[in-house]
Amino acid sequence: MHNPRPRRRNVRSAHADTALFLGPAIVLLAIFFLAPIVVNFVTAFSNMEQTVRFEDFPTTRQFDKLWKPNDAALLGFELRSGFSRALWLSLIYVVFTLGIFNVTFALILALTTTALPDRTGAFFRAVWLLPRMSPSVVYALLWLWVVDSSDRGLLNQILGAAGFDPVNLRLDHPMAVIVVANGLIGASLGMIIFTSAIRSIPVHLFHAARADGAGPLAITRHVVLPALRWPLSYITIYQALALLVSFEYIFLIMGPARSTMTMAMLSYTKSLAPSIGGGQYAYGAAISMILIVIGIVVALLMWRLANMKSLLQAPRIEVR
Amino acid sequence: MGGEAGPNWNDLATRARRRRRLTMALLTGFLTLVSVPILLPYFWMVMIAFTARSGSAETWALWRALAILVPLTLGYAVAYQILAPRWRLIAGAGALALAGGLMALFLGEALHLSNFRFLANPNVVEEIRGQATAGGQFPWVWDALLNSLILAASQTLIVVTVATLAGYYLSRFAFRGRAGFLQGLLVLQAFPAVTLVIPIFLIAYWTGLLNTLVAPILVITALELPFFIFIMKGFFDAVPWDIEMSALTDGATRRQAFRIVVLPQVRSGMIAIGVFAFIKGWEEYVFVTGLRTGNSYWVMSTYLYYIKEDVMGVDYGLVAAVSLIYVLPSLCLYLFAQKYLTQMTLGGVKG
Repeated sequence: MHNPRPRRRNVRSAHADTALFLGPAIVLLAIFFLAPIVVNFVTAFSNMEQTVRFEDFPTTRQFDKLWKPNDAALLGFELRSGFSRALWLSLIYVVFTLGIFNVTFALILALTTTALPDRTGAFFRAVWLLPRMSPSVVYALLWLWVVDSSDRGLLNQILGAAGFDPVNLRLDHPMAVIVVANGLIGASLGMIIFTSAIRSIPVHLFHAARADGAGPLAITRHVVLPALRWPLSYITIYQALALLVSFEYIFLIMGPARSTMTMAMLSYTKSLAPSIGGGQYAYGAAISMILIVIGIVVALLMWRLANMKSLLQAPRIEVR
Repeated sequence: MGGEAGPNWNDLATRARRRRRLTMALLTGFLTLVSVPILLPYFWMVMIAFTARSGSAETWALWRALAILVPLTLGYAVAYQILAPRWRLIAGAGALALAGGLMALFLGEALHLSNFRFLANPNVVEEIRGQATAGGQFPWVWDALLNSLILAASQTLIVVTVATLAGYYLSRFAFRGRAGFLQGLLVLQAFPAVTLVIPIFLIAYWTGLLNTLVAPILVITALELPFFIFIMKGFFDAVPWDIEMSALTDGATRRQAFRIVVLPQVRSGMIAIGVFAFIKGWEEYVFVTGLRTGNSYWVMSTYLYYIKEDVMGVDYGLVAAVSLIYVLPSLCLYLFAQKYLTQMTLGGVKG
């Protein structure tokens, strides 16, 4: 620990430093990130509707809309049909999007693009990042054009040229539409994280494996995948959470359709969704609260996973 | 295996090279195939914007353009592999010229710019529909563009400034509660911020920020901050201590050392988070629609959303042209900044 020649600076200027460097971040986070969490909890136990007033404050009426006591049920309560449907749809949506695209296909993309020459690989990764970089409304619009039920839809044109009947995916397979639409975006994050993890594997490991006679599959299995263990669990948890609360693309592509009313969608459409939002703020907040509790639990789980020691490493210069 | 004496080494090398080339070709083919569902819709949007007349989209132009461009692109890709570097440029220019010529020949009469008339004509939707229905009176597109620019730019400025200051402080200063602060930030970074749209609406209402552009600017800034602070902390962590030390021993104060010596070292980090923040602000939809009641201000996302609601069945071309104008800045910025974006690592979160 080398110490420079000590300077005498009083406590006040240390406080001034804190205020200057950290102050703006603390103020912004307190007002627009921490306060909303508290407000959400309070609102969830109120009866707030369009008037935006806290009425009969401590009430569990919003949660009574989600489940009702039932002595015959296993846990002593049963979910109301709308909510249990939302739970079920959320589960299908998260599991399939995550399993097919955000993890599996992301891994395939990372493995294949890193096996190619650098510039070719980078080109394909750039293509897959395109949906993430384009505005959500534009991306949703492209989807509406692709799955359009008339014979103008791009998919129906291709099917028609191949001699198939036109399909109406938004009506017949709504969950498939939102899974694929979100998956094509979601795969890119895993792809990026996995790619940089593969890049950080020392090259001599590959050489050694190859000298020992390992083929591409054996190298993937015994050299690459072990190095991806932590990124894989990170992406799985992080993306499961992100998908659970996401509703933007579902709303933009499907609108307030009952067939894709996941929990996050339910909360949004009951409260704030433009032109159809019912202004049931307390009800929306109650559903959000369930998502937030899940979110906090998962965030803490991630926190266990993160590399705390290097994160919290103390600064090496201390001049006051 | 291969133990026999003989001149098999060259054979083996050739076979290995051939197998390698085959693998590469297969991988490239696979990636091209799976990338089609992503690229084709974008290409269709461009074609609709330049070819659709009022009414529906005509796909013959799309297929004809693809019939010209796909063989040329494939041909160029093959030529690129075979030719020496100095011939590649010529081949590229030739392919481009050929593509232009063929497009002009076979699509010339279909291409037109009248779908972009909304740039000059403030009342284009009203002319098509008689009267706008979904979102009330439409503004001129330049109003929406300007608002989107204000939203994205000011949000970028705030995010970069605040995240840089905080990232430096967390990287270099020891203070009481530092560990707790970092842990809290890490939890917030993983927190699903979009669940907070209802309470944020309420807070905006109580603070009088509802229906102003200030609300989405500050909200998006705050929700992105934890992530960007970590990114910046990672960049500061990578700057050698010695640089700062020598500045300090030369008599600079901490703030001078930060401003003059350290800050230039993390320029690529600031550009990276700036680009991300700009693209995010430019595309924002949820917190824009959530923080206004009625149409107090228009940005491009709401403009496109309501244009689509109003004229989608009537005029595909207009919707595609608006989309194209809307998506272009994001794409240009993304292409320009790609090399900065790849330098980002998740600071402390990376394992």
